[in-house]
Amino acid sequence: MEAGWRHAVIPWLAQAPAAPALNMWNAPAGTPEIWMKVGIAMLAGFGLLAALIAAPTRLRRPISGAFIFLAGLFWVLVFLFPKPIDSQTPHEQRPRGFVQDVSFWLADAIPVVSNFSNILTAFILGLGVFSLVRIHLMRVAKKQNDWPFSVVLLVSMVAMATFGYWDWKTRLDLGGAKVDEAWPLAAYGKDLLFDGMLQVMEAAMFSLIAFFILSAAYRAFRIRSVEATILLCAALIAMLNLMGAVVVTWDGMIESFGKDNAFVMNFTLSSVAGFIRDNLQTPGIRAIDFGIGLGALAMGLRLWLSLERVGGN
Amino acid sequence: MDGVYYEKGWLGVVFTLMVAGFILLNIYRARKTSGKLFIRRIPGLNAIDDSIGRATEMGKPVLMVPGIGTLNAISVQALQIFAYVTKTAAKFANPIRLCCLDPAVYTVAQEIIRDVYQTEGVPENYDPDSVRFISDRQFAFAAGVSGIILRERTAAAFLMGEFFAESLILAETLNSIGAIQVACSTEITQTPFFVAACDYVLIGDEFYAASAYLSRQPVLVGSLVGQDWSKLAIAATILLGALVNSADGLKRVPDEANEGQTRALKADEKMITDLFSPKKPEWKPAGGTQ
Repeated sequence: MEAGWRHAVIPWLAQAPAAPALNMWNAPAGTPEIWMKVGIAMLAGFGLLAALIAAPTRLRRPISGAFIFLAGLFWVLVFLFPKPIDSQTPHEQRPRGFVQDVSFWLADAIPVVSNFSNILTAFILGLGVFSLVRIHLMRVAKKQNDWPFSVVLLVSMVAMATFGYWDWKTRLDLGGAKVDEAWPLAAYGKDLLFDGMLQVMEAAMFSLIAFFILSAAYRAFRIRSVEATILLCAALIAMLNLMGAVVVTWDGMIESFGKDNAFVMNFTLSSVAGFIRDNLQTPGIRAIDFGIGLGALAMGLRLWLSLERVGGN
Repeated sequence: MDGVYYEKGWLGVVFTLMVAGFILLNIYRARKTSGKLFIRRIPGLNAIDDSIGRATEMGKPVLMVPGIGTLNAISVQALQIFAYVTKTAAKFANPIRLCCLDPAVYTVAQEIIRDVYQTEGVPENYDPDSVRFISDRQFAFAAGVSGIILRERTAAAFLMGEFFAESLILAETLNSIGAIQVACSTEITQTPFFVAACDYVLIGDEFYAASAYLSRQPVLVGSLVGQDWSKLAIAATILLGALVNSADGLKRVPDEANEGQTRALKADEKMITDLFSPKKPEWKPAGGTQ
């Protein structure tokens, strides 16, 4: 009896791949059922949002805090609870017991909960695009400085969205192989805009880094202080260690002083570079990583428990 | 538990809970003492006011970039620091530019900045276009922000959060126009670039200490002290782990391959590995329920 309610309730939130009928989150694509569920979800979402806006100001914070706590609790449980070895195990073969049920439920519910944030992100992307369009339309309308660049941006955005959607729809209707063979205007346009222009321009931006590394390194390696000198020496050793001819020459010279002398052999370029890497660089990086990890944990805790006050408060 | 469940590193879980406990305990302590706990001086954070002052004198905007990560603890922390920067800029009616790559970060940033202007009593000075969504593609974003830097000649810039390859593009563009830069990346691979190119750099957890340092809110100060205690606990654990691992290294066990022989323990047979990351047990569905 006790197990009965568990088996009825627990799969409710989980999108178990083996048994879609067990949960309320999925339905076959294109059926009226899925559209009905989408409609209900939209209504529920906007209803919740409207209720939150209509709620008294002093209540908004505890309400959103409760939502944050529940959402965070799920991921805390995912981290703390024992994990199933194989979450793909068919339902009928799963061992039964409270811990086991919760464990499988958590594993099965991860895609559903992750999808919540994906859906929210999709809505928020609309806000981002709105901001971009508003700023640049205003700039064009008021003929502010560099307004032709704003026209380029708006035209590019509309062209990319149009060809992207057109190509996607064509591939959906005709199939990818046929599109690649016939190469219609939709595919040509999308390929030109995406692979021919966007990717190339991004690669050009990326390649700027090579020049910036040089100019930044020039400034950083100037001998201004003890720290800068130490940085210069360490960087020099690391760089020389990557140059085969220098390594062979230097190490050969060290070996000529005494190949069997372990102390002397500590001064080969690869040994010195290895020492710096293993004993100075790696522990330093680990220590910084620990600090960053702890900071993120503390920040996460404060956000989860609504202890953080961000903004003008 | 039937051998079906993978009890992954129970000591790691206990340790995480202990660290969380330390932090919460210190938040409680700091609340009781109204946050009067010591925090050492961080030069990068002292430079914030100077940078904004310089921008005000020059009549140029202050640029803020919360990295290119999604909405997570790192970007919220960056926005927390930017709230302070905006507060100071709002006092001097100095324009700001906050450029976002992630739409979720953009939405939250807009709310925070509007809230800051309202709290400072100058809501009319808030310009909705000061917080901008640039692009959600890394190098398009870098190009867009570089364009703003060059066109508007920003006098001070704060690059804080998750940065990747675009870090140097932004820092060097800012350097080319002589802007003061205060930077910090939680990505360890980008910190050297910032150190090489920027005027002030916050390293590692100084980024998380910033909001406590600037605002002195008891909750943040307590959390920071808790983090420091946790660091000590981690250092002690590393020391203990090194000793236990060394002792394990001296142990000999019968060698399965050579009868009568002994061998040293393999890395995954050592106690520390087993405590933090045990081997996944073998299990196959039996075809029934227990």
